[in-house]
Amino acid sequence: MKPAPTLSSAFLKPAGDFLPAPLLELRQQRGAALADMPLPTRKTENWKYSSRYLKLSDELATSLPTTGKHGTALAAPGHHVVFRNGVMVPEASDFPDTNGVTIKRFADLTDDEARELAERLDNTLDANAVQLARLNSARFEDGLLIRLAPDAVLEHPLFIISETDAHVSGSAYPRIYVDAGRHSQATLVEEYIANGAEPVMVNAVSEFVLAEGAQITSVRLSAEGENVQHVGATGVRQAAHSRFDSHCVGFGGPMRRHDLQVRLEESGANCRLNGVVVTQGRQHYDNHTVIEHVAPHCDSEETYRNIAAGQSHAVFNGRIHIHQDAQKSNANMSNKNLLLSTGAEIDTKPELEIYADDVKCAHGATVGQLNEESIFYLVSRGIDRRNARTLLTMAFINELIEQIPVEAVRETAQARLNHFIDQTFEEA
Amino acid sequence: MLSIKNLHASVEGKEILKGINLEIKAGEVHAIMGPNGSGKSTLSQVLAGNEAFEVTDGEVLLNGENLLEQETEERAREGIFLAFQYPVEIPGVSNLQFLRTAVNAMRKHRGEEEMNAAEFMKLAKEVSKQVDLDPAFLKRGVNEGFSGGEKKRNEIMQALLLQPQLAILDETDSGLDIDALKVVSDGVNALRSDDRAILMVTHYQRLLNHIVPDHVHVLAGGRIIKSGGRELALELEERGYGWLGIKDADEATPAS
Repeated sequence: MKPAPTLSSAFLKPAGDFLPAPLLELRQQRGAALADMPLPTRKTENWKYSSRYLKLSDELATSLPTTGKHGTALAAPGHHVVFRNGVMVPEASDFPDTNGVTIKRFADLTDDEARELAERLDNTLDANAVQLARLNSARFEDGLLIRLAPDAVLEHPLFIISETDAHVSGSAYPRIYVDAGRHSQATLVEEYIANGAEPVMVNAVSEFVLAEGAQITSVRLSAEGENVQHVGATGVRQAAHSRFDSHCVGFGGPMRRHDLQVRLEESGANCRLNGVVVTQGRQHYDNHTVIEHVAPHCDSEETYRNIAAGQSHAVFNGRIHIHQDAQKSNANMSNKNLLLSTGAEIDTKPELEIYADDVKCAHGATVGQLNEESIFYLVSRGIDRRNARTLLTMAFINELIEQIPVEAVRETAQARLNHFIDQTFEEA
Repeated sequence: MLSIKNLHASVEGKEILKGINLEIKAGEVHAIMGPNGSGKSTLSQVLAGNEAFEVTDGEVLLNGENLLEQETEERAREGIFLAFQYPVEIPGVSNLQFLRTAVNAMRKHRGEEEMNAAEFMKLAKEVSKQVDLDPAFLKRGVNEGFSGGEKKRNEIMQALLLQPQLAILDETDSGLDIDALKVVSDGVNALRSDDRAILMVTHYQRLLNHIVPDHVHVLAGGRIIKSGGRELALELEERGYGWLGIKDADEATPAS
């Protein structure tokens, strides 16, 4: 038997040294811990369906250059911060100047601030479940710290655009840390896009820590090109009566992976996780979510929809873990999948682990195709077949798109979905 | 307008229609009656172009054109409209979006300008009143959570919007209370015109009290075994299907 492949040491050479010393130290420690890390294979449970898409060649190990021109940011009301290859572009960024809201790039933190942050980074994510995302902590060159003071309200959405410039091969490590104080409120939009056609790897980690009563809406739009492998992880920890609303919209690629881990740590915390994924051609997309009901009286509501066309492959793995003390938990998980071709593959795996006895927990997963009766009904009214298929395909996800509370994102998502539909039904 | 000659059709290898002959002229209203399982719904579905049914013999001409060679959507654009016995629920597609897409597909086919959202909304509200549907229905998913009667009224609303040449009504009266029957019948009567024909498929006579047909046909065992005027329907009401030598399995327990 040949030995399991391990992470090439080429990946453990970070670039960019303008971070404050405590963060440079953290990077080094994380890097050392990753030496000889086994890479996921078919036998790695949480990469079972996806390891074959992961291609970690040494040429991807190089940090992408962080100088050069930046692309255009999403034009929308609100403020935006642009990251290019994981490093903030100050001239393209426009921070809100709101009382109680501190937004700082990691490179600008004082040593004290950096020391405090270094102690907290990675605390929202289960290292065993997101091994690859850990590489981000060994490699990030910059990052965004958002701190909301108690009762601070960010009135408009903050757009965080992570743009990857793929004119040469390499990797980028965008990083976000959100510290939401008691009863603070904000809407944050992460958009991942890419320019250029060289093979690149984006490894993005975002963390959200919600104090009592904080309300955070997180929107994540992942739409990089056919040359971009994306490993992403989002970690969330919630204190009492906090609310986390997540809307993820993902477009397939050669390898796409997003881990979303939410810990409901004090009573009354609740989260809603919505996700839409579309894949076509030979694309791949894998969503792994974990909701930890640690404390009693917490609610979670999760709705994910996948649409797979062509020869593509979509994966949903949703785990709900209700701890022994988490009585009166209320957890709902639904994953519905639409196969638009016979060659597409969808794997869905709900995992429920329940140790408390007084809980409400429901889950459902379905995989189906467009309903022929519905198509017949529509075409019998003179609607052409392509339009009928489009209407029914969009019907499958409309509800989730409409729930995204930021109009600019709905429009961007809709335009990209229209493009997806055009390409999918042209092939057919 | 519509000429059906020796039409044979099967579903899953089983022959349901065994040689239907029927001529319908513009301006006429025809009723096809018959016991359950006689092939009434099959005939409706075959005319509309449901691919689940295979036509094995015969021909159907609409204004001289071979209907059977056309796709369902082409037939619709040429003026065939089927009011479904069981309208499909399509959550996620709003009624308004569905109706506007359909109306615009027709307009495009006729070389007319497509209607914008505001123009269409105005039209849709008017027509929804005509069939006594609350315009709030327009915002809901197609037939989603509609009662049986609401679904049937929605079918008639579509007919009124699409203005077909030949409206086929498949058991449109089933599941309607007397008030809803009146509303639906008024809608159908509003469709009657000299250049349009209506084909009603029904198990019961009561619809024909409201929409008076010019011709009544009895379909049994996949064939039309008797044709006559309106009085034939009344006779069937009175005597059942037995005197025609047909067994009606459902006569004792009428379908809802």
